[in-house]
Amino acid sequence: MSQDKIDMLERALAREKAARKQAEKILENKAAELYDAKQKLEKSYSELEALLNKTDSQLQGVFENIVDAYVIMDLMGNILKMNDAAVSLLGFKDSKVEFNLLEMAHPEEMERVAESFQSLMSNGTITDFHVNIITQQNVQKLVHINASIIYDNGQPVAAQGIVRDITQAKAAEAQLIESENRLTSLIANLDSGVLLEDQNRKIVLTNAKFCEIFGIPTPPEQLKGADCSDAAEQNKVLFKNPEAFVNRINAILEAKKEALGDELETVDGKILERDYIPIYENNNYKGHLWTYKDVTLRRKYRKSLEAQKQKYSSIIANMNLGLMEVDNDDKILMVNQSFSSITGYEEQELLGKVASDIFLDETNSEILSKENSKRENGLSNSYEVKGLTKNGEERYWLISGAPNYNLNGEVIGSIGIHLDITDLKSLQLQKENLLKKLEKSNDELQEYAHIVSHDLKSPLRSIDALVNWIKEDNKEKLDDVSIQNFNLIETTLEKMEQLISDVLMYSSVGTETLERQTVDLHTLVTDLKTILFVPDHVSISVLNTLPKIKGEKVKLQQLFQNLISNAIKFIDKEVGLVEIDVKDLRTHYQFSIKDNGIGIEEKFHDKIFKIFHALNKSKDSTGIGLSIVKKIVDLHEGQIWLESKPNVGTTFFFTLKKDKI
Amino acid sequence: MNALNILLIEDDMIEVMKLNRTISKLELPHNIVEANNGEEALRILQKKDELPDIILLDLNMPKLNGIEFLNILKKDSVLKYIPTIILTTSNNQKDLLECYKIGIAGYVLKPLKYEDYTSKIEKLLAYWSINELKQI
Repeated sequence: MSQDKIDMLERALAREKAARKQAEKILENKAAELYDAKQKLEKSYSELEALLNKTDSQLQGVFENIVDAYVIMDLMGNILKMNDAAVSLLGFKDSKVEFNLLEMAHPEEMERVAESFQSLMSNGTITDFHVNIITQQNVQKLVHINASIIYDNGQPVAAQGIVRDITQAKAAEAQLIESENRLTSLIANLDSGVLLEDQNRKIVLTNAKFCEIFGIPTPPEQLKGADCSDAAEQNKVLFKNPEAFVNRINAILEAKKEALGDELETVDGKILERDYIPIYENNNYKGHLWTYKDVTLRRKYRKSLEAQKQKYSSIIANMNLGLMEVDNDDKILMVNQSFSSITGYEEQELLGKVASDIFLDETNSEILSKENSKRENGLSNSYEVKGLTKNGEERYWLISGAPNYNLNGEVIGSIGIHLDITDLKSLQLQKENLLKKLEKSNDELQEYAHIVSHDLKSPLRSIDALVNWIKEDNKEKLDDVSIQNFNLIETTLEKMEQLISDVLMYSSVGTETLERQTVDLHTLVTDLKTILFVPDHVSISVLNTLPKIKGEKVKLQQLFQNLISNAIKFIDKEVGLVEIDVKDLRTHYQFSIKDNGIGIEEKFHDKIFKIFHALNKSKDSTGIGLSIVKKIVDLHEGQIWLESKPNVGTTFFFTLKKDKI
Repeated sequence: MNALNILLIEDDMIEVMKLNRTISKLELPHNIVEANNGEEALRILQKKDELPDIILLDLNMPKLNGIEFLNILKKDSVLKYIPTIILTTSNNQKDLLECYKIGIAGYVLKPLKYEDYTSKIEKLLAYWSINELKQI
């Protein structure tokens, strides 16, 4: 290696060294600059960072405190961030979820959502976008969205949006519309004519009924805005008193005060009721409402009701029955004309007074209060009282009382119909007196019969005694014929006495002196068999048990005794048979007494029951026995008849009523 | 047999004769005092020392009748003890009840036949003659 070369190399090295030194120097300076810059940068970064933090936390605060749901999503629709309101609106558990918002749209809304997303991308914003979503909780909601794109250096990086739940607002709105529709339809179909005018008398609203009432051919909807200034003048011809109609309307419009219940009569006989209601808004007159109601029918009802009331009032006033209305304290509220004439009091004298004080004495007041208490239980009743008229006359009244109710169904008093039955009552009293008199005269007659029979029998006894004495005293002097004649006198006397006894019996059968009692006829007949004289050749048999019957024992005994002894008496056979039997008919018992005696010819069948018609003039037959029998049977509402064949026998049938009380 | 003092109150003359004749025919020891009606009988009964043992009383009489007489008799503190037997034709139940109510010692119906009468009187007097009577 040459020096040159070495020199050259040394020079080159020196140059290189110098260059490196220079470079090192530059590097050193640069490094210092860099350091400075770095220092500066670091400082500004931290400043920036602080600023960012500040803004960020500010934003965070806004973001968190915003009431509406706030969502940030990337351009694909994935949620980046959302606030609590959004969490709750969209139905998430918390804000830390990964979810694509587009999935939340209602399936039917997909297309619209896509369109709006497109529009958001191209325009940067969308506003008032309404869309149905289904939240994570599976609830369908209608939401309102305003959204915008977030740019970084002019590049869209994300989108933010505010979401409002308008489901309820929408529903309320729908309801409002519906109720408005209802109201409109109500007005349209109202049975009253309605006319709403504004302050300039332009029609705001009217309905079909109004058009009908006033004969307007235009449909009500088309009348909106029509001027009514001249309406009264135009329509007055419809009314009976047109000028008054116009004047009244003008007066009402002038006053602008509520006017209710005006009554109008149309020329074709309808009656309308009109209400005027002015409408004020903040004390400013804004128009008014007319309503017209057709009350013709109602008015007619009222009229016919009044007519009916009139009719009944006039019936009540003119009926022949006294009518009195009292309250619960027996105070008189109303009386009719007949009541006045029955009692002699004028209406004014009676109103407000206590009825029982005026008309009744103590006893009858008690009757009344007893009847009144029955009526308080809602019973209607009739009763008799003795009342006093104004001039003190005693009259008998038949009162039919009925409780009087108010609208709530409470007893508020009573209405009594009074019939003066004094005449009837006096007839009844007369009848009772007559009956008493009759009873008395019956008793007297009975007494009389006894006295007469006594007086008639006494001489008979005397004659008998005298005849006996003559016989006794002249035993030896009298011949057989005389003795026989004396005996005949005695027989005649006996017959005479029997006759008198029978007449007495007959006369007393008709009078019921003793009380009826239950009589056991079987015992009675059994006893009779032992009392009666029954010849040995006659047997009496009772075929069936005889019943018990209500009656007078003495008379029933007389009945059987007479028939049985009759049967015995007329038996002419060697073996006599008397059969007694009974048959139960529905209302009566039918008895039969059968003998095998001489029989009775049919032509005498009726005659034998008549008094003094003895067929056989025998010493012990007076002809009264069967008359007594008939009378007793009559008394027991029965009948008597007979079947008989001469020489074979006779059966007497008779019936006695059951349960004769 | 006790001899009885009998007061017969009877308006019918033959009835009186009948009783007298019956007693004498039956040979009874009794003594008959006659009164034709109630008034007369009351007069007789005023003599308290000669009061009868029994009274036979008819009902149907003029003036004071039998029941009226009986009423007066039974109200008298002394006379009410005298047994009084009704002897009458009346079988009126009303009379019979009334008599027993006021107070009588018997009620005998006068029969039609004289011999029946005799028999009844005999028994009647036989009964009373064996009775203990109040000593007045």
